[in-house]
Amino acid sequence: MSHVITTEGLTKAYGSRTVVDSLDLRVPEGCVYGFLGPNGSGKSTTMKMLLSLVRPSRGEVSVLGRPMNHRTRHELAALIGSLIEAPPGYGHLTGRENMAIVRRMLGLTERQVERAVATVRLRDHMDKPVRAYSLGMKQRLGIAMALAREPRLLILDEPTNGLDPAGIEEIRDLLKSLADEGVTVMVSSHLLDEVDRMASVLGILGRGRLIFQGTRGELFDRSTPDLVLETPEPERVLDLGLSAVRTHEGLRLSGLGEDETADLVRRLVHHDVPVHGLYRVRRSLEEVFMDLTGREGLS
Amino acid sequence: MRMAVGLEVHKTRRLRVWVLCLVMVVAVVALSGMNLFSESAREGFADPAAQPWEALLLGQVMIAAMTSPVLVAVLAGRQVDIEHQGQGWFMARVAGLGPGLLCRAKAVVLGVALTFTAVAQCVLLIAAGMVAGIEVTLPITLWARYGLCLLLVDLALLGLHLWLAARVDNQLVGLGVGLLGAFYAVYALLMPTWVAYVLPWGYYAAISPVAVEGDRFVESAPVPWAFALFLCASAALFLGACRRLDRAEGGPA
Repeated sequence: MSHVITTEGLTKAYGSRTVVDSLDLRVPEGCVYGFLGPNGSGKSTTMKMLLSLVRPSRGEVSVLGRPMNHRTRHELAALIGSLIEAPPGYGHLTGRENMAIVRRMLGLTERQVERAVATVRLRDHMDKPVRAYSLGMKQRLGIAMALAREPRLLILDEPTNGLDPAGIEEIRDLLKSLADEGVTVMVSSHLLDEVDRMASVLGILGRGRLIFQGTRGELFDRSTPDLVLETPEPERVLDLGLSAVRTHEGLRLSGLGEDETADLVRRLVHHDVPVHGLYRVRRSLEEVFMDLTGREGLS
Repeated sequence: MRMAVGLEVHKTRRLRVWVLCLVMVVAVVALSGMNLFSESAREGFADPAAQPWEALLLGQVMIAAMTSPVLVAVLAGRQVDIEHQGQGWFMARVAGLGPGLLCRAKAVVLGVALTFTAVAQCVLLIAAGMVAGIEVTLPITLWARYGLCLLLVDLALLGLHLWLAARVDNQLVGLGVGLLGAFYAVYALLMPTWVAYVLPWGYYAAISPVAVEGDRFVESAPVPWAFALFLCASAALFLGACRRLDRAEGGPA
């Protein structure tokens, strides 16, 4: 699998404070890469380093097979669309005038701009001043600005921040359709549920370090879900010396891998404990995330 | 640079830059020419010894010293604030245009507006004097020299205010500095000459082409080397600050 973004030991420190620590990112081509982490975990700084807006203290960034630095930034910028921090847009100008500025700045054609505006479904609002836009419309305009150059890579920092559920759904569908068209999308968020539904590859950042990188399935494999044992005689199970929590279904047992589960079943059969059901709890990405980040929280 | 200037022109839409300049021109002409239609002033319009043009010119110096620092601060603040509010620094940076380049482009666009303001002030005030009936010979060289010096001081302070507006995203700071500068400029007209050379705003007084000596007006001019040094230092500092902004990470503030 070829990677659109790779970083080696990417680090950013401000004085003695290290905000991004030795990141080795691998963003595969044509996927939606969900970049997760609590607020202040270093997501925005990492994205700024990927765009060469912030100089790394150590480490290398390679984008689309080329090293990204101040010499190559301008050339590579033509292939990358980005939305960092708040959505851009001059409030005193209309959406159309803002897009005209982007068109002139990037040397784009009218057709490219029209296509980007149509993609984010903002055509009917282009003659309104941007200050009159809702937050969702501003985000869509920001994404249109990022899309106008028809990028191979899209880097979006919390693009659904402040959007209502309908707006989030709309952006999610848009990003998925872009990935289907072959655009690699790297999207950061602290809203786990939202990333869970659109990203095929995840990178999880905690206190500046990459805690996990891989597919959703690989992530779940990293964190063993609890077992629920449905039995009418939970006391007999507890008498076996197992550590478990009583629930209305029976007992909940934590930290048991495949071998330990097989051993448990053998012991239950051996002691003739009646078992009505034994299954793994389906865990949300959020619970897995909380486990990995050490309950650091989501905001 | 050409493209950046073109973009700045595009961004000035609805910022009312030209309206502000026009209001300032009208204010300067109206306040400076207030005495033109008084009976006592009209008596000396045909008498060279009454020096009616010099009186009018000194009035302009006073009013321009009061209003120009504020106009420069307001224009710089408005043109830069849109970048803070609209994430324009990042947008331009990603496209390869650094904040320093944006500031230089803004200086060009606002420089044109300030040129229009300085020229219009001088021309309209002379026209007002002629309409009022001043018959003595117009000291055109004196007026032209003042107009040019006023423009140069405006441009020097424009660089300072653009830098300040880019570094501090609360534009009230720049406006406050402009207001204090206006007070200093007016008081420098009334203080010993050297006071005018202490702070940049004092140059609005230093460039006065006339001074009062006893009961008559005499020709005056800024100390050439000090004025040249001020202009060169302002230009060098602005260009140096822009280069620094370009090299800095992220936005300038």
